[in-house]
Amino acid sequence: MTQLRKYSFLGLTAIRSSFAYLGEQLFGLVFLGVILFIFLQLWRATFAGAGAVKLGDLSLGQMIWYLAIAEGVVMSRPKIASEVDQDVRSGSLSVQLLRPLEYPLAKLTSSFGERLVLFGLIAGTGCLLALIFVGTIPFSIKGLGSFLLVLPIALLLDTLGFLMVGLSAFWLEDTSGFTLIYSRMTMVLGGMLIPLELFPDFAKPIVEWLPFSSAVYAPARLFVCPNLELFWGVIVRQGLSLVVLGLIVFLLYRAGLKRIHSNGG
Amino acid sequence: MISRFQNYASLGASYFRLNLSAMLEYRAAFWSQVLAMFINDGVWVLFWSVFFSKFKIVGGWTANDVITVWAVTAAGVGLSGAFFGNAGQLPRLITQGQLDVWMLYPRSLLTHFILGRSSASASGDVLFGYIAFFALVHPNLERSLLFVLFTVSIMVLFTAFRIIAGSFAFFLGSASNLATALEFALISLSTYPSALFEGAAKFVTFTLLPAAFVGALPVEAIRDLNLEKTVLVLFGTLIFAALGVVVFYAGLKRYESGNLLEMRG
Repeated sequence: MTQLRKYSFLGLTAIRSSFAYLGEQLFGLVFLGVILFIFLQLWRATFAGAGAVKLGDLSLGQMIWYLAIAEGVVMSRPKIASEVDQDVRSGSLSVQLLRPLEYPLAKLTSSFGERLVLFGLIAGTGCLLALIFVGTIPFSIKGLGSFLLVLPIALLLDTLGFLMVGLSAFWLEDTSGFTLIYSRMTMVLGGMLIPLELFPDFAKPIVEWLPFSSAVYAPARLFVCPNLELFWGVIVRQGLSLVVLGLIVFLLYRAGLKRIHSNGG
Repeated sequence: MISRFQNYASLGASYFRLNLSAMLEYRAAFWSQVLAMFINDGVWVLFWSVFFSKFKIVGGWTANDVITVWAVTAAGVGLSGAFFGNAGQLPRLITQGQLDVWMLYPRSLLTHFILGRSSASASGDVLFGYIAFFALVHPNLERSLLFVLFTVSIMVLFTAFRIIAGSFAFFLGSASNLATALEFALISLSTYPSALFEGAAKFVTFTLLPAAFVGALPVEAIRDLNLEKTVLVLFGTLIFAALGVVVFYAGLKRYESGNLLEMRG
């Protein structure tokens, strides 16, 4: 119980700290506006070209709202990978180890706290832009409820993935390349650019079980087009991804600790 | 005039050699960044080629055009990062008052400053752009020459855009996030078919975010061997290059030193 309070406090501190620096993030919203406008034009042309009212069971309006949420998840990506990379390579990890905290858990909760605030800002602005671009879409209490249940796990899962990338600094000279590739996989395989329903038939069942889609596609899809079957499927896949990624992070950290050489000073 | 140009070209070549040597000190890190950027660009091209072949939405644009737009943009932006990489550091250095050291040299401040740094991942962009274009598009001699010309014009334009965006820091105090958002917005707008943008949006791509001179016009000029569009791209690039110089020196009058002690090797 004390452990839980300790890490919750770290998360809450990160949330409060993020509010203090929220102004710095406002300029990033310029990019969000541009990218949502591009997607609006792209999907307008796609719907018109296909002569369809719905693509992947989503209308044009639902597609733009879907993208607003998906962009929120991707653009709120934490800097946890580069922070862990720096801690490992600069040796400041040894200072962190003196604290009565498990380093990966401390980084995870603190990044998760920051991310909640950033996601709120980006997705909120994205939804406002979607409202201006295409108007409102049908929402339901059940749908919003399932979205709110799935969203924190999605953000946690994605943060855990980047923590895993950062921990590879124990073995790699530089992790920025790995971070870039991982973030592209999140965008493409996560369904940020197009929903999973529009993926080629052979790819969909594979992509569905990867953690990227549980982090990006799942909350966005449940937000715009909820259904109970999808919700339970997402919960199972998210649970499984959390266990697998959590185990990988645990093993990487344990193995990495053995490579630390402290020279004092 | 010519001897002055030769002098700065020689300085640029020396800086490039020095920066490359410095980056190759961390050989694994350098090559991992190059490889990661190459894969990153490749993923985008593959993704959008599949998308545009599935949805026939953009009048006149073929898979070859999608490859060309990514190749020419990646190579041009990459050349900018490889030769004028310091332009991306401009807002941070202005905010921290760290331009002083560059003012001590008997060289043109702006030209000397932007030559001072290279980005490792930019080399991956350049490699990708040239390999993708020549290996996948199979151009004839005229198209090959135009491609090379446009990668140079995009290098100049993108550098000028970075200088303008970075110079906002002279007026706003801090502009790193704004400059990054504007750079991403320009690159994003550049890599989509021009047919998606009409009216005010098209006007923006020729003015505030000059994506038309980076993506659409070069691609159409290469495809149709169009002299008019080639001249338009070069003219637009010159205008933005001049604007970059004017905005930088106008802002410089407001520069405040950080009074930091700094040495360059």
